[in-house]
Amino acid sequence: MNMNDMRSVERIVNSHAAKIAAQNVQVHYGASQAIRDVSIDILDRTVTAFIGPSGCGKSTFLRCLNRMNDTIPTCRIEGLIRLDGEDIYDRRVDPVTLRAKVGMVFQKPNPFPKSIYDNVAYGPRIHGLVQGKAELDEVVEQSLRKAALWNEVKDRLSAPGTGLSGGQQQRLCIARAVATGPEVLLMDEPCSALDPIATAQVEELIDELRANFSVVIVTHSMQQAARVSQKTAFFHLGNLVEYGDTAQIFTTPQDSRTESYITGRIG
Amino acid sequence: MPVHILCLILLAIGLAGYFLGRRRALQVAGGNAKLLHSLPAYHGWHVALMATVPALLLLALWLIVQPIYLENRVTGHLPPEMAATPADVSLAMSDIRRLAAGLETAVDAGVLTEEEVRDPAADPAALAATLKPLGVALGTTPTPQVLAAAREYRTTAARLSVARAAAVLAVALIGLIAALRMARVDLWARNRVERAVLGLLILASSVAILTTIGIVWSMLSESLRFFQHYPMADFFFGLTWSPNFKGGSELGFLPLLWGTMYITVIALAVAVPLGLYAAIYLAEYADPRLRAWIKPMIEVIAGIPTVVYGLFALITVGPFLRDYFAQPLGLGNSGSSVLNAGIVIGILNVPFISSLADDIINAVPQSLRDGSLGLGATRSETIRKVVLPAALPGIMGAVLMAASRAIGETMIVVMGAGAAAKLSLNPLEAMTTMTVKIVGQLTGDTDFAAPETLVAFALGMTLFAITLALNVLAVWIVRKYREQYE
Repeated sequence: MNMNDMRSVERIVNSHAAKIAAQNVQVHYGASQAIRDVSIDILDRTVTAFIGPSGCGKSTFLRCLNRMNDTIPTCRIEGLIRLDGEDIYDRRVDPVTLRAKVGMVFQKPNPFPKSIYDNVAYGPRIHGLVQGKAELDEVVEQSLRKAALWNEVKDRLSAPGTGLSGGQQQRLCIARAVATGPEVLLMDEPCSALDPIATAQVEELIDELRANFSVVIVTHSMQQAARVSQKTAFFHLGNLVEYGDTAQIFTTPQDSRTESYITGRIG
Repeated sequence: MPVHILCLILLAIGLAGYFLGRRRALQVAGGNAKLLHSLPAYHGWHVALMATVPALLLLALWLIVQPIYLENRVTGHLPPEMAATPADVSLAMSDIRRLAAGLETAVDAGVLTEEEVRDPAADPAALAATLKPLGVALGTTPTPQVLAAAREYRTTAARLSVARAAAVLAVALIGLIAALRMARVDLWARNRVERAVLGLLILASSVAILTTIGIVWSMLSESLRFFQHYPMADFFFGLTWSPNFKGGSELGFLPLLWGTMYITVIALAVAVPLGLYAAIYLAEYADPRLRAWIKPMIEVIAGIPTVVYGLFALITVGPFLRDYFAQPLGLGNSGSSVLNAGIVIGILNVPFISSLADDIINAVPQSLRDGSLGLGATRSETIRKVVLPAALPGIMGAVLMAASRAIGETMIVVMGAGAAAKLSLNPLEAMTTMTVKIVGQLTGDTDFAAPETLVAFALGMTLFAITLALNVLAVWIVRKYREQYE
């Protein structure tokens, strides 16, 4: 790929306000501990990349941020995670409402077996975000535009979403998440099932989404982290080893483990 | 030589062929199995198959042809008045066969000697008297012609049996030797054996298809005979079912179709919601430990014989419906009712639907559920809007299969809804179904030329067509929507 891996150097972090603040988070699956004492501030309107070798806990931690781990019976979470200052594990917080605010895009594109339109309209419909068909049409169009998919599908909105190509499916899933009007978008290796061209499209899209959302992306590709993110967190064996500006992590890592990982010696 | 002994000898030849073939293969390879194209065991199988398969085919052919040949030969001895029509010939042949078998038994038991049997001057009446204590009952005293024919039958059969054994064994040995001579390092024994296995697989699948064709054919031919006796329009559009073996029957099938459909609809109205809700609970909400208990328990219901359900309908559900619904509401006072049979058949189908639907719901990828939950949908919304639509084709298939089962159910209908054909809307009245009438028309002393009996085949054919159409519909629905989430 002819992309300049280091172009993030020139990028500025738009905001310094913490959107999500995690303090001393521990996660256990049954008897084994997946996350040890992680504290991190995720900034608003910023792309934050979580990198690290397989099994380091980065996806687990990501799923803590919208309580998707609640669906796993053996999973136990300790510590404090606040979204805009509010504890998301508080008894009064409904995980369902939280997930509407903190959207998620998964590793494998998972469009519903419905039409493209119904896929995007799913969130607005269940949350009652719109009134009337015209308004829903507008939301669907805007979401598909934000996901850079509108021009490709505008003539076949009633075709099944599962009939799209892999890259289009993943952008459809992003449009679906965007349509719900989230404040944070979590992406769990969103490009791992895509070819390089589709990956480039999705990466470009992530950079545009930064204008409206706080984006957290888990990735195995260090080039991708360098290309799309402003902040990078390196996880290793359930620990958050290092967190800082992407340019700094990739050029002058403070920890020897980070350096070993980004130079390819561990992983 | 009897056929079973011949088969045992063939088996032994095959076994010997296997070991000989294996040894021979190693021999031609100079003891180094790596030089062979195929493993020695494949060479063994190759020899065994070459020795037995052609011989078995010849034996099968012989067994089909021999009776035809024998019959032609023996009927030549019959006087023309005994062989006037095909029915006479078949009657005479069964006498001849019985007598020939009787003579064989007598010789085996030592009651008669070979000479006594062959003696052309023997008195048929005396022979019949000798055979009687041996359990060989002859309808009438055989005529001399029949006796002569039986003698001819016996000697020819004995000669043919020897010829058969000789021919089959010769073919087996030729096959064995030819296969052993074929053994070379580069013989593709593995491929040849696998082709033989492929043939076996094709044979097995064609048996199932041919059986179905045979069933349809026999039903169809009997149905056509029925329609020669009874007008087709009266059968398909008649509103009265009153068979009478003395003649003047009215054989309208609509009351039976109505009863069948009424019971099926009630059964599905019971089974589909119960089964589907149970499946949703089991697949989506139940704790895995609880599920491990509940699922087998629900499936136990499916293992109970339907006659036991019939008893349940007869002594529990039926009287309950009569005492608490039919009589207070003035809708009749019969313990047998459509509702009774429908409810019990519905209960019978609950585990069927719940078990199938549970598997289908479990097959919906977890990623779809995650996607929906990740957008802030509740579990219930996820099930209603994502999981069930994705599982719908499979669930429809399960429902239609349950409908086929309900249509074909007989025992519960007899015990729960009675056997009176009736066209009525009242669900608390006794009615009956096509399957019950099929059994009813064919049991007891029946005359297979009367339309009252033959109507069973027409009913069976119609039932077959209805269930086939339902199954085709199920397959079509499943195929149309199948690729949705794959």
